[in-house]
Amino acid sequence: MEHTIILASEKIAQLGPIPLTNTLMVSLMVTFLLTIVSILATLKVKLVPSGLQNFLEVIIEVGYTQVEELAHLKAKVFFPWVMTFFLFIITANWLGLFPGFGTVGFWEHQDGKEVFVPLLRSINSDLNMTLSLALVSAITTHILAIKFLGLMGYLKRWFSLQMFPVFLFVGFLEVISEFTKVVSLSFRLFGNIFAGEVVLVTVATISKWTAFFVPLPFLFLEIIVGFVQAAVFMMLTLVFMVLLTEKGGH
Amino acid sequence: MEQILKDFGIQPFLLAAQVVNFLILLLILKKFLYKPILRVLDERKSKIAQSLEEAAQIEKNLLKTEEDREKILNQAGIEAKQLIALASKSADEIISQAHQKAALDMQGILKKGEETIRLEKMRMQQEIREELGDLVVVSLQKIVGKVLNKKDQKEMINKSIKEM
Repeated sequence: MEHTIILASEKIAQLGPIPLTNTLMVSLMVTFLLTIVSILATLKVKLVPSGLQNFLEVIIEVGYTQVEELAHLKAKVFFPWVMTFFLFIITANWLGLFPGFGTVGFWEHQDGKEVFVPLLRSINSDLNMTLSLALVSAITTHILAIKFLGLMGYLKRWFSLQMFPVFLFVGFLEVISEFTKVVSLSFRLFGNIFAGEVVLVTVATISKWTAFFVPLPFLFLEIIVGFVQAAVFMMLTLVFMVLLTEKGGH
Repeated sequence: MEQILKDFGIQPFLLAAQVVNFLILLLILKKFLYKPILRVLDERKSKIAQSLEEAAQIEKNLLKTEEDREKILNQAGIEAKQLIALASKSADEIISQAHQKAALDMQGILKKGEETIRLEKMRMQQEIREELGDLVVVSLQKIVGKVLNKKDQKEMINKSIKEM
């Protein structure tokens, strides 16, 4: 019963052209969960809140204040994006800590070897998922920049009007830095969560008995990491959005 | 690069699926979570602001009412004093008028009385004179007889009466 560490997520089914991996399935579950919770919370919105509505109000108010502090008037536009990043990532990270993740699955023959395929896997331990989130974040940021600055104002950021070689080079660097943003966003999240998963599996499989109690401190650590990574992704996206939609950089 | 992507299991379809998934989630949350919650937060904010404003207004009104009450009371006191002063003044006037009228009436009555007395006296004098005349005539007739005619008699009577 050896759990090998596999970077790529495992395929559990094929839906037409889309290979249904365990992470994609969990991603759909998270989407479903968040949808249900938000519908339940706002079924009957009351001026005097209670229960679920109150709980979500606190989260949303804190988030909105955060966004407003940085984005001011643009907060209304930025808020849904960054808040959804936060909610999706934190739900995914914490859901991934539930028992059953990475442990419930089946054995499969692959290339003549027995390979364990877990049914459930923490979403962000799959680079596909984090990379797509980072891509959405980056592309949205640029679209919003065009929206707020106009196409000319947006292009001016990258290609200075003077067209001095130095400025051209600076613009080139800036274009590269946009790609680094995507890479850093996706790999930061992926690395943290994947490492957490690996740590949990490793600790639990050091010996027969370490599966009990020993992983607990690491689980708590992962709870913190899950929150921190969600917050970091949200804040970075927000900062990028604010920076790119500001007039006159150079 | 390709090897890295393969190691990490990057597949375009998976990427696209996750992007779509995320966008759907975004739309759902926007509609069912952010909008209603932010709206109710806004509503509550404005309601609280309104309530506070109203409270301030009420307090102000209360103060104003208190002031008005004080003012009205003061005014009423002043008016009452004035009224009392006016009343006592007019009472004095009425009394003095009554006095005057009484005095006047008394004078009138006295005058009338005097007049009546005077008239009575004159009437009595007249009567007495007439009676006296008759008496004189009768006694003269008795004394003088039928010496004098009627004309003389009258003349004589009148003369004697005047002398009387």
